[in-house]
Amino acid sequence: MEVINARSALLSNYEVLSLLRELEADHLASTKTAFRIKKEEEASGTTPLPGGSREPEILDNLRTVEVEAIEYLAADWQPTSKQTAAGVTKLVKALAPYDLTKGEKLQIVNLAPSETVELYVIVEELEDRFGSDQPVEILEKVKESLSAPDTPAANGTSAVTPRYTAAAPVNGTYEEPDNWDEEDEQMWDDTGEGAGVEGELDVDDD
Amino acid sequence: MFVLSILGDTLSVHPRNFGAPPAQALTNQINKKYANRILHNVGMCMCLFDIVSASEGKVRYGDGMLWYKVKFRMVVFRPFTSEVILAKVKSSDESGVRISVGFFDDIHIPTAYLPSPSAFDPNERSHFWYNPADPPDDYDPATTTLSQTDLLDTSKSDRWYIEKNDIVRIRVESDEFYDDEPGPPKGEKAVEGEGKVKRPSYSVVCSMVEPGTGVVDWWSGAGGDEDVEMDDA
Repeated sequence: MEVINARSALLSNYEVLSLLRELEADHLASTKTAFRIKKEEEASGTTPLPGGSREPEILDNLRTVEVEAIEYLAADWQPTSKQTAAGVTKLVKALAPYDLTKGEKLQIVNLAPSETVELYVIVEELEDRFGSDQPVEILEKVKESLSAPDTPAANGTSAVTPRYTAAAPVNGTYEEPDNWDEEDEQMWDDTGEGAGVEGELDVDDD
Repeated sequence: MFVLSILGDTLSVHPRNFGAPPAQALTNQINKKYANRILHNVGMCMCLFDIVSASEGKVRYGDGMLWYKVKFRMVVFRPFTSEVILAKVKSSDESGVRISVGFFDDIHIPTAYLPSPSAFDPNERSHFWYNPADPPDDYDPATTTLSQTDLLDTSKSDRWYIEKNDIVRIRVESDEFYDDEPGPPKGEKAVEGEGKVKRPSYSVVCSMVEPGTGVVDWWSGAGGDEDVEMDDA
């Protein structure tokens, strides 16, 4: 192993979180596919080749760090739940005119300060460098870049409850049957998977 | 707190994984080897970011593996000195406070880096910052020095505790790598077994001395706190 460049670029918390979420989604998708293939094989009666398990290798170390890091980065006391990719880009562009260092900009993005005290901690000698008006402007820009806490649907963290409460009064009752259908389908899938597991257990018993 | 590190390595792909696209097989191999591990003087590896380049796979004499020379970018946890981070209090003892970011918890705040004046309350098992709402006339935080016993005599309402699971804003002061190479067991050690406390291979020292750092709730919204902050600044 060789280290070519230990610090080639800085990453914001939001970027890391989206990368980890992608990994998580990939992982879920691949385990689902593997499960389906297994089920199909069982249904068609073909026995898998000995030793040739098609299940994707589960990387325990990756899963651990993935789950723990997502938990930390998506915690409700982190600003990431209110951030969007577009919002972060906009904020970085808005911060460009100020004479902030790279590290300071990164921390403003990561911590999304809402009060001057927080900005004092992040930016060295805030008052000498920026006077008293610019910090307020910076805070204003940070605020603009965050989406309202009520609509974090883009991240899908707490989208379930608002969707029902918002959709029902506007669209009336017609919206609901659709949802029920979808849910029925999912339910049906679930029982299918459950049956698959049972079948497997039966085989073991025999 | 995260950086991208460019690393190079020679990795093997087991014949079992020849069915998968090489990029996928290599990604798995890299994550298996590096994720959740600490690299000396680099930091704690999270996961692969992308593969920069890879050679043709080669079979060597002696095994059936395909060997690739790979250059790739890792997402690494390595907060830089003076960075401000949010984290959770994990535990406290006489020597200081231990902080966790979930996936990494060798973050310490020694007592010297706690807000001044502060003391450890053995009954509550946590440190507190003495910050009286209306201080006694002869008390000036800048000049008055209070002994530990004085501090433990103060009224509880003037103590701002740093409790377990509190969210704290802390500044990174330094970080240290410790190479724990296994060597030949020395005579005494071998007898004692695991008598010595194992040193973490990567640890971070943080502070919450400055105004604005410390428990997040201390600084949220309350105007009175900001006055204190302005005085100090």
